[in-house]
Amino acid sequence: MDFMRSIAIAASGLRAQAGRMRVIAENIANADSTAPSSGAEPYRRKIATFKTEVDRALDARIVTLGPVRTDPSEFRIKHEPGHPNADENGNVRYPNVNALVEMTDMREAQRSYEANINIIGASRRMIQRTIEILRS
Amino acid sequence: MAITDLPLFSMLRTRMHWHQERQRLLSQNVANADTRNYQPRDLAPLRFEPTRLASAAPMVLDRTAAGHFASMSGTSSRFEADAQTSYEVRPTGNAVNLEDEMIKVAANQMDYQAVTSLYTRSLGLIKTAIGRR
Repeated sequence: MDFMRSIAIAASGLRAQAGRMRVIAENIANADSTAPSSGAEPYRRKIATFKTEVDRALDARIVTLGPVRTDPSEFRIKHEPGHPNADENGNVRYPNVNALVEMTDMREAQRSYEANINIIGASRRMIQRTIEILRS
Repeated sequence: MAITDLPLFSMLRTRMHWHQERQRLLSQNVANADTRNYQPRDLAPLRFEPTRLASAAPMVLDRTAAGHFASMSGTSSRFEADAQTSYEVRPTGNAVNLEDEMIKVAANQMDYQAVTSLYTRSLGLIKTAIGRR
């Protein structure tokens, strides 16, 4: 049944977007995680990547979550002399997580997720129409 | 005589296969809406030509020994898929436009409904001819 394949492809999209949401949640949760000691680096923002994969059983190009990469941009630096991890100038390095960017990313993931759900609904209704031929 | 030997039914069946195949391609496009360098694909519109109707059965590889794998892509080779020309390509090289794809999915679904209704009606016609109604 070909419609089941459509649903399986859409499900691969759902899985990938859910994985992306997990990475975004990790970033937001760690937005203020400083380094364990003054010399070490704080939390570095992670970016989820997608890649197309040919599924032999489905005979289709599904999507999977690729390697999770880190954002090489600069850390945020705050002047907090009283902080236990402050360097000799009183600066503390905070993660390079920008809440606005994460929110935008989250919206995009949500939108793609909904699109995949719509595909599943459409395929399901088409299967239903096929079964209704029997009922006539 | 099988019911699929009637030209009307075989045409409707081909059309339903086409919509199935298109749904698969569209769901592929939506699933890959955030993949780098992905080009969306769509099916070429279905044209009914007398010569193609006669050879509607898909070409499949023959299995000459029991240990052979059954060929899988029997259905997908029937219709031509082509890369769409999209005017909107994102910096990551992805050219999927979610709104366009959703409209196509809705259109595909509605057309499929029309075909299944026609199929039901045609079955009803035959039933009338037999005299069961």
